[in-house]
Amino acid sequence: METENKRNFSIIAHVDHGKTTLSDRLLEHTQTVDTRVLTSQHLDSMDLERERGITIKSHPVTMNYKCKSGTVVQLNLMDTPGHVDFSYEVSRSLAACEGAVLLIDAAQGVEAQTVANAALAVSQDLDIIPVINKIDLPSANLELCLKQLEDILAIPAEDAILASGKSGIGIEDILEAVVSRVSKPRWNDCEQTRVLIFDSVYDAYRGAIIYIRCFSGEIKPGDGILMMSDHTRAEVKEVGVFSPHMVKTKSLRAGDVGYLVCNIKNVSEIKIGDTITNAMKPATEMLPGYQEVRPMVFSGIYPVESSDYEKLKAGLGKLQLNDAAFSYQSESSIALGFGFRCGFLGLLHMEIIQERIRREYDVEIISTYPSVVYRVEKADRETIEVDNPINLPDPSHIERILEPTIRATIHIPNEYVGDILNLIMDKRGVCHNTETLDGSRLMLECVVPLNEILIDFNDRLKSITRGYGSMDYELGDYVEAKLVRMDIMVNGDSVDAFSCIVHTDKARARGKELCERLAEIIPSHLFKIAVQAAIGGNIIARANVSAMRKDVTAKCYGGDISRKRKLLEKQKEGKRKMKNIGNVSIPPDAFIKVLKSD
Amino acid sequence: MEKFDKMAKLRGDSLGIYLHVPFCSTTCDFCAFYQEAPRRQGIVEYLDGIDRELSLIEAPEKKVDTCFWGGGTPGLLPAGDLDRLCKAVVSKFGQPQHEWTVEMAPSSVRKDKLQALKDNGVTRISMGVQSWDDGLLESLGRLHTSKLARKALDLVQEVGFESINLDLIFAIPGQTAEQWRSDLSKTLSLGIDHISTYCLTFEEDTALYVKLSEGKVSIDTEKETAFYRVSWEETERAGFEQYEISNYAKKGHECLHNLNTWRMDEWIGVGPSAASQSELKRYSNPADLKNWLGDLKEGRRGLASEPEVLDAGILFEDCLIFGLRMNEGVNLDTLKNRFGRDLPESVKDSMEQLEGEGKLVKEGGKLRLTGEGRLVADAIGTELLGRFSD
Repeated sequence: METENKRNFSIIAHVDHGKTTLSDRLLEHTQTVDTRVLTSQHLDSMDLERERGITIKSHPVTMNYKCKSGTVVQLNLMDTPGHVDFSYEVSRSLAACEGAVLLIDAAQGVEAQTVANAALAVSQDLDIIPVINKIDLPSANLELCLKQLEDILAIPAEDAILASGKSGIGIEDILEAVVSRVSKPRWNDCEQTRVLIFDSVYDAYRGAIIYIRCFSGEIKPGDGILMMSDHTRAEVKEVGVFSPHMVKTKSLRAGDVGYLVCNIKNVSEIKIGDTITNAMKPATEMLPGYQEVRPMVFSGIYPVESSDYEKLKAGLGKLQLNDAAFSYQSESSIALGFGFRCGFLGLLHMEIIQERIRREYDVEIISTYPSVVYRVEKADRETIEVDNPINLPDPSHIERILEPTIRATIHIPNEYVGDILNLIMDKRGVCHNTETLDGSRLMLECVVPLNEILIDFNDRLKSITRGYGSMDYELGDYVEAKLVRMDIMVNGDSVDAFSCIVHTDKARARGKELCERLAEIIPSHLFKIAVQAAIGGNIIARANVSAMRKDVTAKCYGGDISRKRKLLEKQKEGKRKMKNIGNVSIPPDAFIKVLKSD
Repeated sequence: MEKFDKMAKLRGDSLGIYLHVPFCSTTCDFCAFYQEAPRRQGIVEYLDGIDRELSLIEAPEKKVDTCFWGGGTPGLLPAGDLDRLCKAVVSKFGQPQHEWTVEMAPSSVRKDKLQALKDNGVTRISMGVQSWDDGLLESLGRLHTSKLARKALDLVQEVGFESINLDLIFAIPGQTAEQWRSDLSKTLSLGIDHISTYCLTFEEDTALYVKLSEGKVSIDTEKETAFYRVSWEETERAGFEQYEISNYAKKGHECLHNLNTWRMDEWIGVGPSAASQSELKRYSNPADLKNWLGDLKEGRRGLASEPEVLDAGILFEDCLIFGLRMNEGVNLDTLKNRFGRDLPESVKDSMEQLEGEGKLVKEGGKLRLTGEGRLVADAIGTELLGRFSD
């Protein structure tokens, strides 16, 4: 097909604004997928994605659409992830496009991620097609949406297409707009082959399957290729398109989106955003926008049963095959035994990986308090990076500690501004700009330490604003802060898995909270248990687990000793499943429960 | 010969017979014991089955010390059947040397039954009164009223037995501390010599458990603890001595059969679901009249599952854990003499800790739980059991 009859576009939206449902309608309308085989949310293939209603891995798909003028146009749709943790993946998917359908929920209006995604699309020079979705909802507020479109995003209201993914309204209008408003494939005048990697998945039989957009030249089986970021060489085994399942083709050319299989097995060797070129006739310049992805959040993952260590290791290895943004290396904890230090893009990414280990690899795990990467300048001028509180040097050796921050954009209804400013302050953040979006909404721009938003910032934002607030963020600078390590002790024994790095101003409150929560979770024992928080040698907070009051079965006769004994054995086994710190048994889920806010 | 002596030592000194009578006229809301509704046909088959089972049991070389009939409701059988059953047991094992208990429910006590039992040498009657409060009795699903229980006791006392036990239940939903105190003091004033107090338990497969899981009743540990303490006070005031978690007696009236169980001696169980510990094996009969009979008709005693083989290790653990349920505690020298072993260090460490917390006392070679320890005897058992396998 002629390059000029190809269109590459993406659908971008705030979480839950109906992106995946709309994609399904486009597939149906272009008969790419038979309606009968179309399970709801076709493109989300992971169970977890379907359950959580979010897309984690983006799935491209190629559709052939016969437009009103009669021409058949090849439409390549990139369905992007909708969560901030995966914003780099979003940016790479966008980089593979010339246009974007910007979806706005008619009942929710413009939200923080709508703005962030629109800005991302604009920065990539994409043609934007605004679509107001879910217009058939009773709570739809069309007028407000159109006004927000002009006021906040500076997009003319008359450009907007009204649609409903659910009932199929406006689907054809959207397809027509993609053909007429999205530019023809760009950068196809380069003489050498340049192919963008925007994702990859692992296949047990074929190794890494690389999702690509070909910008110029051609790529086909047998080609010797070169990864431009690190000069890795490989040979192409297979190329093909998604329609929506993988279908082999002879080659991929300028303007095509598809997949590539080469003799690279590990997904971790594939760098998202990298440019592939032909090794024989290499391009001199990479496609723009490549970044090395680095984990932002770290946490220890340990098997509940130490005998599951190998199983966990194998599971992590397989997960990494499919997820280059996830990293792990072995570590050990006094409290938890042998396990792994794992790095994630963000908290959602962390939760998803943990859940997948449990479900797909059937290993019960304990995870430790998540940590960001601190930069510690030591007295001897050496700077080290610390992602595990245990590794924080002795305070006497520390000159200063820097912590990562984020630049957050928060959208909220006006009436919650006081509470949200308090929340930001509570999280040690600074709000440096407040802007009125329309009569009823505000946009706050602030800088907040990353470690403060790890646990519950988004949850609290949502609960304060009754679900109407939204947030987007990007990484900011490292900033000096007064940080210390706080240890949690159970009956005098330090439980390293609970150690965390906290700001001195917040240590007491945080220590008290941790102690109290842990004291609630630890079941009554024969003896009283003290749960203490300490900085250095100083106890700063304490809570008690009172001793068990009564545990005795009155009836024990009729000679049935074995029944009674079995009962005791069962209780004994129950205790064995817990983590024993000194003589205190801690239920495995305590570690997670302590971290979750109420 | 030496090996034989060692075996005999492990097995302990005394021998008891437990006979299970599975019939009940109704099922109490709290009861999880195996039971059958009484029909004449079933009773006749049961009595025949007992004869068959007795004929299949090898006569023990030891003399029988105690006999205990539990259920179900043994007292539900008519006088003639009781007489037949007594004679069958005695002709097999001889007259129990020290004690012979039969459980009765107040609603089925009759003079002719009591007389038949007494004539055959039964020494002790145990009666499940549970409460003297008619409202609480009804809430437990019991058939009798307090008036009926009082009448039944009068009959038992009139016929005359060496010992009489009454069972009471405490921490019944809705029961107040005052109600419990009055149940106790009334019981203790009736001229009996033994009382068992059971904290209401919610066992699976009982009507109460269903109520619990439906949220209609709840467990209140504080209340249970307080009521348990009330039992200690009231029994002591009335001149009774606690000798086990749930048992109080006037001197010389402790239930020897149960002491024999907690000391890990031997007992042979007869009747459906009856458990045995004999010749270093632990096993249970099928807990179903039909299955139990079926096996017997084929000329063998069926078992609910493979017998557990006992060795010095298991018996040592059980002597300790179950021994601590008794106020007298356990004598480590006696255990060492019987099993040829000491407490493992890990267990000793744990005991030291328990001592430090006032839950356990060590005096001379003897270990016993304090009141505080008795309140958490199960947790202590679990803890010690865990330490044995460390």
